[in-house]
Amino acid sequence: MKAVGARLPRYDGVGHVTGQTTYVDDVRVAGMLWAKALRSPIHRGDIMRLDTSKAEGHPGVHAVVTHADVPKNVYGHLEALGVPADEPLLAEGEVRWKGQVIAVVAAEDEATAREAVELIEVEFEEKEPLFDPRKAFDPDAPQIHPWGNWYNHFEGEMDRRQIRKGDVAWAFDQADTIIQGVYRPAAIEHLPLETQISLSVPESTGRLTIYSCTQAMYFSMGVVAAHLQVPLNRLKLVGGTVGGGFGGKVDSATETITALLALKSGRPVKWRFTREEEFLVSSTRAPWHIEIADALTDDGWILGRKTLTLHDSGAYSRFSPYGLTKHSFHHLGAYTIPNVHFDGYVVYTNRVPTTAMRGFGVTSVSFAVETHMSRIADTLGLDPFEFRLKNANRVGDTTANRVVLQDPSTVPIVQAVAEAAGIELAAELRTMSSEPRTGDLLPEHLVSQQVLEKESH
Amino acid sequence: MKLTLNGVERDVESPPLTSLLAVLREELGILSPKAGCQQGGCGSCTVLVDGEARRACLIPLASVDGAEITTVEGLGSPDDLGRVQAAFNDAYAAQCGYCTSGMLMAAEGLLRTNPSPTREDIQHTLGGHVCRCTGYVKIIDAVELAAGGVA
Amino acid sequence: MARHRGRGFTTIEYPTGMNQNGDPSQAWVKLKPDGRVDVFAGTVDIGQGSRTVHTQIVADAIGVPYDWVTMDNTNTDSSPVCTGTFASRGTFIGGNAVRFAAEKAKERVLAIAAQELEVDAADLVIEDGEVFARGAPQKKIGVPDVAAAATWKYGELITGTGAALKPFASLDPETGSVEVEPHSALSYAACVAEVEVTVLSLLEAYDVGRAINPTLVEGQIQGGAMMGLGLGLLESCYPYYPSTDHRGGEFGTYLAPGIEDLPDIKALILENPSVDGPFGAKAIGEMANNAQPPAIATAVHDAIGVWITELPITPEKVLRALDRKAAGEGEPRREGKRVIFDEEISLNAVGSDDAAVRLTLGG
Repeated sequence: MKAVGARLPRYDGVGHVTGQTTYVDDVRVAGMLWAKALRSPIHRGDIMRLDTSKAEGHPGVHAVVTHADVPKNVYGHLEALGVPADEPLLAEGEVRWKGQVIAVVAAEDEATAREAVELIEVEFEEKEPLFDPRKAFDPDAPQIHPWGNWYNHFEGEMDRRQIRKGDVAWAFDQADTIIQGVYRPAAIEHLPLETQISLSVPESTGRLTIYSCTQAMYFSMGVVAAHLQVPLNRLKLVGGTVGGGFGGKVDSATETITALLALKSGRPVKWRFTREEEFLVSSTRAPWHIEIADALTDDGWILGRKTLTLHDSGAYSRFSPYGLTKHSFHHLGAYTIPNVHFDGYVVYTNRVPTTAMRGFGVTSVSFAVETHMSRIADTLGLDPFEFRLKNANRVGDTTANRVVLQDPSTVPIVQAVAEAAGIELAAELRTMSSEPRTGDLLPEHLVSQQVLEKESH
Repeated sequence: MKLTLNGVERDVESPPLTSLLAVLREELGILSPKAGCQQGGCGSCTVLVDGEARRACLIPLASVDGAEITTVEGLGSPDDLGRVQAAFNDAYAAQCGYCTSGMLMAAEGLLRTNPSPTREDIQHTLGGHVCRCTGYVKIIDAVELAAGGVA
Repeated sequence: MARHRGRGFTTIEYPTGMNQNGDPSQAWVKLKPDGRVDVFAGTVDIGQGSRTVHTQIVADAIGVPYDWVTMDNTNTDSSPVCTGTFASRGTFIGGNAVRFAAEKAKERVLAIAAQELEVDAADLVIEDGEVFARGAPQKKIGVPDVAAAATWKYGELITGTGAALKPFASLDPETGSVEVEPHSALSYAACVAEVEVTVLSLLEAYDVGRAINPTLVEGQIQGGAMMGLGLGLLESCYPYYPSTDHRGGEFGTYLAPGIEDLPDIKALILENPSVDGPFGAKAIGEMANNAQPPAIATAVHDAIGVWITELPITPEKVLRALDRKAAGEGEPRREGKRVIFDEEISLNAVGSDDAAVRLTLGG
């Protein structure tokens, strides 16, 4: 009996329905302390004074950590991909978003930890925040990041993600109609039922065992090791069972801090975000601002596309350069457009840093592109199925990045969903296939982008 | 104070204003109800109090002194699953599993008073339970299956 | 009061694996002396069922019954590197790693069985935990006996390691072009949404390459549909974006999709196998929440004649759009052959005239 393709029961199904699946919050170790954080109450400002002594002296408190306790406070999650570090683990000298962590306390119980947080003395000099990425480029905008208000370390030290293919000026000149629109999908919460959590346990061998809800064990281990400046074998991450992630549990929000508190106190330390923290200060999906202008013929060919994207990264870079790049690779959607001009910017604002969420970069562009396609069909009086099918990816078509498509399935997917929806497609649409373009499906402007020799990789 | 927990009388030492959820998880070793929000908003802490589905995160211990508390641990075990547990497993109603304990107890509470609920009854009972993974479809199927209907 | 119904249709595509590749997953398997299989991989199960999928793949890659395979240890001492559970890479890249490891272990099983049976390893197959000679099935030995022989006769640990990695696809920063495919596979999907300004139904089709476990795929489709519905209609961290005012800090003020928001969801699973994925699989995890928001936006326009391109499409936004329409506003500006929508929210309108970046459409 074959397992692949079979509707076998979930491996962990019985565990889930008997309450026996062990999540991080279910791990029990003796002597465990609870962590609570002091967070910035302002959107942007300088920290003029920070005094944790009263908190440290509070009965039941075993450790307090600030930036001074972190061997390497500023470490970039994507340094390996060439994204320079810009974000401190614990705020140092300034805060750039409301909720940014300044200090964390480990105490005998949650109530004591909260009391101790109240005893930390901190003074700020507030500064004007920037919230609207459309205003980030204004000459008089507050400069909230040392690199300016947008990321400028793409390859070749470029300040944008750029794609150029063909001749978009020709396309716009030739077009019968140009249709422009602006698309703004919102920041939303990952909203896992299990909030951010980790439990760090100092072992007698000098190692640290970190029970973590991370979606990426080795990635988080690398982050902790880099901040602590220790080799990987000092750490053992235990996990693999997570109460929902959706992209929000890669940031390693608690692991390094519980590790620091465990080392400083000599006791196991657990930090479990409250739901308020999960809603208000944990990283979110990014808001996007996407402007598309398409050059169209009256019979429904897309000759060219010009796109400008602003990716609201919040206060720091995190994964935004990667997300914008992925967005750019897929900004033509499931269609073949030969003349392409894409500019995308990672823009900083004084809000919670944004991060990956299910579909990172492509969710936003799918919303923009598909709504735009519907709008075009409606404005030009085209059948929405015919319009999509004639522009749909086919074998031998190339993408904006010059990837040669070997086996796209736009056409059969459209046909399948139309049939299931009881929509009767015209005969010539029903018989379309993904085979390479020829005849009427290969107008002059699509000839040069077609690549039919099989490439070996 | 005392609780009858899954049929067994237990003495409880926690202070009177401790939430029932904290009493169960931190003192009594009952880990199935989860601290999903501690605001009463997600339902993952749901247990039965004298047979009625209630949010343990919102209940101070003193108000349930002497009550009968039923949790997932009292519904069955891996070798002997209760009807709602078996149905949830068969219908794939759990993905990450974090909301599952609350859903199970709410479903159990429903079926004890309404053994043949409609899909609307089920949706209404679970209306305040948040699941982020499943999209709810298989959860409704599971409750129907547990009630003896077709999933 | 008239109820207006509308329908919207969208088609999308989505890549499998991290963009531009370079994201390894590794695994190793070992056989216990009774032939049972232990799998070690760094893949994290966030609810999507990776543990289930990985053990299904290993069972079939070796040829043993499914319940002989365990995967109960995920920690960085015993599990090798998995870049992470994101980018829809768990089934394809993580699955390939366990498949390669299982295939290596299978080679050792066949080699030892060949010695025991005095048959060429190339003539042996494994099915349901038994090794037998093709064409001469009476020449057979159970995998448990092979494992026992390995342990106590040959002094070998039957194990296999596997690593899946597609090399990094660097890009030209000027043109964006790449030489190597920047993904492991491409999936496609489509959605038809029917609304009566509340979503009535979502009909979706997904090309997943190969459904390793069809019920788990349905789970992703249904969960993704509700997440897409939330993105399209209900959810916003910043209800008055870009302002940070009125952020919802609890479930009553942040609107998560609830069971009573559930529309009728129908899903079609298409299998257009990938070339390199385990048993032809591609991916489903993230794509599952991408097609709904534009389908809903299109359906809303079909129903009531307004385009709302700022998500979520709340009742407030709908009413404001209808008011604008009634006042004769909200139509695009037409200038020659240009049709310009949403001008008032564009970068050029909001940013200053001497901003460093503006949208230039010249030419």
